[in-house]
Amino acid sequence: MLWQFSGDAPIYSQLIEQIKVGIVSGVFPPGERLPSVRDLATEAGVNPNTMQRALTELERDGLVYSQRTAGRFVTEDKAMIETAKRALAERHINAFLDAMTRLGYQREEVINMLRQEITGGGNGDVSLAV
Amino acid sequence: MSVLQCNGLTKRYGKVPALEQVNLTVEPGRIVGLLGPNGSGKTTLIKLANGLLTPSEGELLICGAAPGRATHALVSYLPERTCIPTWMSARQLLDFYGDFYPDFRRDAAEEMLRHLDIPDTLRVKQMSKGTREKVQLIMVMSRQARLYLLDEPIGGVDPATRDYILSTIISNYNPEAAVVISTHLISDVEKVLDEVIFINRGQIMLQSSVDEIREEKGMSVDALFREVFKC
Amino acid sequence: MLRKLLKHEFRATGRVMLPMILILLATSVAANLSLRYLMDSRAWFLTMLGGLLLMAFVFAIIGVCVVAFVLMIQRFYKNLLQDEGYVMLTLPVSIHQHIWSKLIVSAAWFALTALAVLLACCITAFDITIIKEILWGLGKIFQELREVQAYYAINGTAILVELIVLAFLSVVSMCLQFYAALAAGHSLPNHKMAWSVVWYFGLQFAFQIIAFSVISGLDHLNFFDWGVFHPDIHLSAMAGIHIGLLLMVFLTVVHGAIFYVITTFFLKKRLNLE
Repeated sequence: MLWQFSGDAPIYSQLIEQIKVGIVSGVFPPGERLPSVRDLATEAGVNPNTMQRALTELERDGLVYSQRTAGRFVTEDKAMIETAKRALAERHINAFLDAMTRLGYQREEVINMLRQEITGGGNGDVSLAV
Repeated sequence: MSVLQCNGLTKRYGKVPALEQVNLTVEPGRIVGLLGPNGSGKTTLIKLANGLLTPSEGELLICGAAPGRATHALVSYLPERTCIPTWMSARQLLDFYGDFYPDFRRDAAEEMLRHLDIPDTLRVKQMSKGTREKVQLIMVMSRQARLYLLDEPIGGVDPATRDYILSTIISNYNPEAAVVISTHLISDVEKVLDEVIFINRGQIMLQSSVDEIREEKGMSVDALFREVFKC
Repeated sequence: MLRKLLKHEFRATGRVMLPMILILLATSVAANLSLRYLMDSRAWFLTMLGGLLLMAFVFAIIGVCVVAFVLMIQRFYKNLLQDEGYVMLTLPVSIHQHIWSKLIVSAAWFALTALAVLLACCITAFDITIIKEILWGLGKIFQELREVQAYYAINGTAILVELIVLAFLSVVSMCLQFYAALAAGHSLPNHKMAWSVVWYFGLQFAFQIIAFSVISGLDHLNFFDWGVFHPDIHLSAMAGIHIGLLLMVFLTVVHGAIFYVITTFFLKKRLNLE
């Protein structure tokens, strides 16, 4: 997994986000045991306490559950993972739409451009013509 | 009990103050960044904690005791410069640390040396600068100390070594112990830290948690540092 | 912990001193052979080789003494006051233990060096007629002395022991004077070595002044007309020598103790590693 952090948001919230992506995309499959806090922290290059905090938060959301002796596991509830996936997707779409609005595009234009980009082999000039 | 506590700590060299009325505490389980520009008093503070300097005023306590022979057994110190005896081989270095520190985990150190492909018989003299720094860090982090004082552990090393050093610090994390890392290379260590202490001209400017800074100020510690210490 | 410090100190110094002592013994064997066989040879190059071997022996003696001396200073300076000091002075060990370990190891090497030089000289002299004759003569004189009067033999041995003790203590005190000067000089921010030299000669000078003023002060108080010094008390020459030597032993110990206190003070309170 590739861990990357931006400057502004708290690190634990970025960790939550990235672990969610890991779960949704199947890097951490449903029902699988997660690596230990220390291993995850070492891999991500972050403070173990921060990693602990992120995992606790994920536990509260239900995406992760812990068994006292065996460690932490990804939830087996596929519906819950699907919801999380949906929520992440919505966040990306909203961010994208916000960016496009700032560039001055109307919703219709955005939809057209998207359609062209996906189906028509993409006319790169569209984005450059701005 | 706090691992490190300073009450009104002042150190002057002649009349020049290097630290003025410093009050701070470091709790167990925390990884703390001691951040400040060059000459801000970071090294002076760390030397005081190691008993290599004596305070002019105030006190500094390690697990409740003033620095001395007893606290040396609790503190694992990585000095600013590499200073392991150069005539020793890696094995002799292991003997040395094992003899003097009951908390030295020889097997852990050997494992880390093996991982770096450093043979037992290689003398420190024959090692490259980067290897020496790594070996010294391995000796320091292989102890099960209560307080790790790392003075500029990532200054002057290449980015790969920097990553190695930081991951060694993380993978040896112990909830009973505190780690203090002094540096001016903030963006590199920021992710590793719980807390930061900003120090300038011998005075503490700020002590706060990293995520608090990011949450409240909406900027990274690095950005905040640049703002606070703008020339 | 002192035991462990000693172990590592011997490790650090032994890797230099042991080869030096081995070289010395090897050259002494060579010197012996050259004295016995080569020097009388008719072939000029054999004579020259013999001369070179003898010279090597002399240089080895000088070398081992110089190295023992330099090592004494260098171990203290490099191991405690330079970069290695960061490691050494943060060990869970007291300053006293540090000083004692350095002192004991240096003194041990000086003693071993003296023994090695003695042994090397014996090896060199082995089976050489003229030296055998001298030694035989000396033994004879001693033997006769003992037969004439046991008094001289016993006192002779006692004086020898006293002289050895005095020499050993003087060496220890000399080490401590170097340690004190180095520790004091290195407490200053700049020109540490230059200040150490100044301190060394300063201490030397101060002690001469003190010794001089104490003696003249005592003289002023008519101290030397009192007790054992009283002109009416007639001491035998032997007793005088013993008292003089023991007094010197005592003064050397005081001398060393003062340097020890200075060294500990600067290492504990005025440490200033770069």
